[in-house]
Amino acid sequence: MSDSAVQASHLSKAFGAKQVIDDLSFAVSPGDVVGVLGKNGAGKTTLLELMLGFTPASGGAVSVFGHDSRRLPGNIKARIGFVPQQDELLEQLSVADQLRVIASFYSQWDAEFIGKLCDEWGVIPGARIKSLSVGERQKLSILLAFGHRPDLLVLDEPVASLDPMARRQFLEQLVETSVEGNCAVVFSSHIVSDIERLANRIWILKDGRLAWQGDLDSLKESIVRLHVRGTPEVLASLEIPEALSIRRDGDFATVVVRDWKPESLELLRKKYSVTVQAESLSLEEIFLELHR
Amino acid sequence: MVASGQLAPGAELPSVRDLAVKHAVNPMTISKAYSLLEAEGLLERNRGRPMTVAAQARSASPLTKRLQQIQPLVEQTVLAAKQLELSEPELLKSVRRNWENDSE
Repeated sequence: MSDSAVQASHLSKAFGAKQVIDDLSFAVSPGDVVGVLGKNGAGKTTLLELMLGFTPASGGAVSVFGHDSRRLPGNIKARIGFVPQQDELLEQLSVADQLRVIASFYSQWDAEFIGKLCDEWGVIPGARIKSLSVGERQKLSILLAFGHRPDLLVLDEPVASLDPMARRQFLEQLVETSVEGNCAVVFSSHIVSDIERLANRIWILKDGRLAWQGDLDSLKESIVRLHVRGTPEVLASLEIPEALSIRRDGDFATVVVRDWKPESLELLRKKYSVTVQAESLSLEEIFLELHR
Repeated sequence: MVASGQLAPGAELPSVRDLAVKHAVNPMTISKAYSLLEAEGLLERNRGRPMTVAAQARSASPLTKRLQQIQPLVEQTVLAAKQLELSEPELLKSVRRNWENDSE
């Protein structure tokens, strides 16, 4: 047993010859908000589905609240909220009926809370599901995942179809849920700025591996852009092992480095007798640099 | 806001939770910011009550501290000036002009 909400060790998943998830180990603690970033096809959805036991792993193991994800008992499932990328709403029902169906699975369903959120988010209980827009369906899917006050929330691109107002309301609710309920949150999104605001931990998934897992601050300290000024000859001779990219233009070079340490600044200045300034990058820039 | 006096000494700050929800930001970011401001002597932590603006906040910050705060902006400005091939006197002249305009 462990105190982690989710724990994975050497988790792998292959579809035929294609290794989609390759030897990942991680832990998610209560109160953590983990933002999962990755290009289309990087394996984000597969990773989230593995965590929840929807698909078997090819190697390694993953557990939720200390239980193997493939054999989660009912009382553990009742502590999980999940928003899938493709909603699983029942077309022929009304919103209120859909809420009732899901509520019936949970003894701890908070109808008052959901009623309040329906009001605030403009979700109309009398509406037919088949008449809802994509964004309205997404709002309802999110409500369904929040209603039983889960201890672990897993959201697969929950905001892709939401308008800016709805997205903001959702983000505020997500913060409130994680703070009040000490809920662990894992969510994937292509809206990097949302992840930058909300997440305290970042996973960057690339080719089935985590190109980064750790807290946001360390990531931003670790990957920086250097502005180097010196003669073209000196700049041509620059050798920085941790460089992700180097661009030279006359007397200037811009170098993006990983595993950066502030004391390296002085070393570089002395070694090459150049002027160097370090600039911190936004999460979006870091994401792009890691995929260059 | 503390430096400019918009928040007077003794003024109460919103709780970490309220500020985090209001701005949809991870609460750790807010509490880190509060801790930094506390370490700089701008805020005071009060047991069981909201944080408040420190009584000595405005005058407490020594020159080196304030210079340190503006350093990244200065670095950026100097870098941009060099990239635009401005000379030092040209940049200083521009700074002076802005300084004087602002104080009128």
